[in-house]
Amino acid sequence: MPQNPTKIVDELGIALANLADAATGSFTPTLRLGVTGLSRAGKTIFITALVHNLLTGGRLPGFTPLTEGRFIGARLAEYPEATIPRFAYEQHLEALTAKTPYWPESTRRISQLRIVLKYQSAKWFSGMSGPSTLNLDIVDYPGEWLLDLPLLGLSFAEWSAEALERANRPGSGREAQPFLQLLEGIDPLKPANDGDAEKLALAFTDYLRRSREHGALSTLPPGRFLLPGDLEGSPALTFAPLPAQGHSMRSTSLYAMLEHRYEAYKDQVVRPFFRDHFARLDRQIVLVDTLRALNAGPAAVADLETALTSVLACFRQGETNVLLRPFVRKIDRILFAATKADHVHHTSHDRLESILNRLVANATKRARFAGAETKSLAIAAIRATHEGSIKEGGETLPTIIGTPMKGESLDGITYDGKTEIALFPGDLPARPDSLFEDGAPVSLNFLRFVPPQKLDRNAEGDLVLPHVRFDRALDFLIGDRLA
Amino acid sequence: MKRPIARPTAVAADDNALVRAPRAFEPAKVEIVEPAFDPDLDETLIAPPPRPMGWAARAAWTAGGILLSAGLALAADRLISDLFATNAWLGWAGLGVLGIFLVAVVILAAREVLALRRLKVLDALKRDAALATAENDPDRAKGVVTSLEHIYAARADLARARQSVADNVPHMFDGHEVVALAERTLMAPLDARAKALTAASARRVALVTAVSPRALVDIAFVIYESIRLAGAIAALYGARPGFFGFWRLTGAILAHLAVTGGLVLTDGIVEQLVGQGLAAKLSARLGEGVVNGLMTVRVGIAAMRVVRPLPFETQPQPMVRDFIPELTKLTGDAAK
Repeated sequence: MPQNPTKIVDELGIALANLADAATGSFTPTLRLGVTGLSRAGKTIFITALVHNLLTGGRLPGFTPLTEGRFIGARLAEYPEATIPRFAYEQHLEALTAKTPYWPESTRRISQLRIVLKYQSAKWFSGMSGPSTLNLDIVDYPGEWLLDLPLLGLSFAEWSAEALERANRPGSGREAQPFLQLLEGIDPLKPANDGDAEKLALAFTDYLRRSREHGALSTLPPGRFLLPGDLEGSPALTFAPLPAQGHSMRSTSLYAMLEHRYEAYKDQVVRPFFRDHFARLDRQIVLVDTLRALNAGPAAVADLETALTSVLACFRQGETNVLLRPFVRKIDRILFAATKADHVHHTSHDRLESILNRLVANATKRARFAGAETKSLAIAAIRATHEGSIKEGGETLPTIIGTPMKGESLDGITYDGKTEIALFPGDLPARPDSLFEDGAPVSLNFLRFVPPQKLDRNAEGDLVLPHVRFDRALDFLIGDRLA
Repeated sequence: MKRPIARPTAVAADDNALVRAPRAFEPAKVEIVEPAFDPDLDETLIAPPPRPMGWAARAAWTAGGILLSAGLALAADRLISDLFATNAWLGWAGLGVLGIFLVAVVILAAREVLALRRLKVLDALKRDAALATAENDPDRAKGVVTSLEHIYAARADLARARQSVADNVPHMFDGHEVVALAERTLMAPLDARAKALTAASARRVALVTAVSPRALVDIAFVIYESIRLAGAIAALYGARPGFFGFWRLTGAILAHLAVTGGLVLTDGIVEQLVGQGLAAKLSARLGEGVVNGLMTVRVGIAAMRVVRPLPFETQPQPMVRDFIPELTKLTGDAAK
């Protein structure tokens, strides 16, 4: 029986916070945009591009308020919560627009940002009172932490069973071996001892880290083991899965201690994270790095699907009753986005979208049933390539042209991060299900590219970030709130 | 007390005869009867093409044309020879004038052909744009945008809009987005001007009807204004119809009016009646003015829908309703 992710106290807190928001929101409404994605799905890039495009009124022909001339402008504002760092928009932009541009480093801590959007409503009533404003709140966080959300519904025994089953899979044998050996040598019923707990936790963390490096595995909770932030070494992070114990045990046993710590981890680390940042969202974008999973093979694809389904099940989606609206906030629009669409030719975007649809099919069904509107798009928040075609052996191949990152290799050639190449990454399968089948030889190779080198400037001298369908994503996510 | 009776009224059907055994066939033998699926193009948005002539009509026109041109040629020949007979100098002058006339006629004809082709291009463009939207085909949509840029290449008022389209299109990957962009940037300003033209025409018609002494005068004026309006709107959207082009355009507009009754789907007839009723209360002539004005509005809307090279997707369709306040306001002012 899965547990409820929140407790009654949390629910009360959430309802009160919503009420406070509703009260202040009657002057300036706030829209909380949840940017969801596993690690390296492109959350930071997406947020940076979003902020930059809104601030500079970038090239967004599909963003209705802008093309209809109703969008007046945007500015960054102070975030109401003083204890959380601000999203380092300027540094990220600098990285992307440097002389030799590079992608920002992966996110290691939580940060947030508020943008104030000014627009004129086209509606008869709202338009009469002149320009309106809308606060757009965005949170950036390490994608690893997202994997913790399903833990809220699992007890220690359930989680241990799941984690050990995964460690014992033939695929993860090599990485898990040291941890499993250590586990065998320790009796969970012996009296608790910090030394043992630390040894176990260390071995377990090691296993998680190594399996992430070796495969593109996405389902590896607890996420803070990989990116502890300032919790490193604290008791809440010093636990590991243990085999289930049938009979009753003393409260001083190792098992009881680790179970206690697991619960503490859930209560003090995961639940506040969920409550403060995910329980009160209005809109959600789910970024999925499909191409990386495709590169890694069927196991990774299946893994990605499981992870997405279990993570997305934690969010509150659906329509809200009009009477309850001051107390309840639910996600009423979800966009599923296959990121890095610039790494394939635009003729393959349809297939990329159908693969994405297959990956999030369960999550979509659930969201639609709850009454939320969903859409899926192949996007690239920043387009790093351009397109061309090449003739080889009498057939014309659609290629993408860009500079692969240093260390990327194809056909035995390793690139130095300076040479521009034209790449034909292989045809995406027409039938998405074939990606899950082991026997099917999928000959795909997607390289990672460095950010675009030469950027255009618009009439005001601001840099224009090229993108793929980013404007449509934006229009779906916030366009209707600026109507 | 009678006993209950049951009698069969029909012979029981033999059930076994109805059960058909399962069989398998080769697909090659099967006659495929699946209906072809056409992405639903809104038929009312596309003007019905003029009906091709039957063979009899064609023969009549052809024969008549041959006779007429033979007659004209003969007349010209006789005129020139008469002129030569009078005076050689006069003959040469006549021949020169005839040459100039012929060259001018050829140029005119070429222009007419071009104008007719342009109308056809606009029609094809509308179909293409609808298809590109339905199928989300970026290549087709970019083709549409290229032809639009070609049509409006000489228009100074659209320079900025053209530039904005040209800047954005290379970065777009969805057919319907490209068409929507073109409609928003290129069509929207033209729509606004076409609406202004229509409103101005309708106002003039209403005013003339209200003050004209004879019914014949207002009918003549309505026809005159409608023709002028249709021509102006066609020129605005880049059709520049010549004489024959205009003839075809008129046919298409009339056909459109006949199909829709001049009403757009969302237009309520009630509002029109209310508007007219109010004006008619003030004065019978004013009521007639509003009616005639509305007729002109319908012609303007039909012309817009016939010549506009893109279907209405992102922009609102012009509706009779939009013009009513202006008409009633005008007649109200006149009544004071």
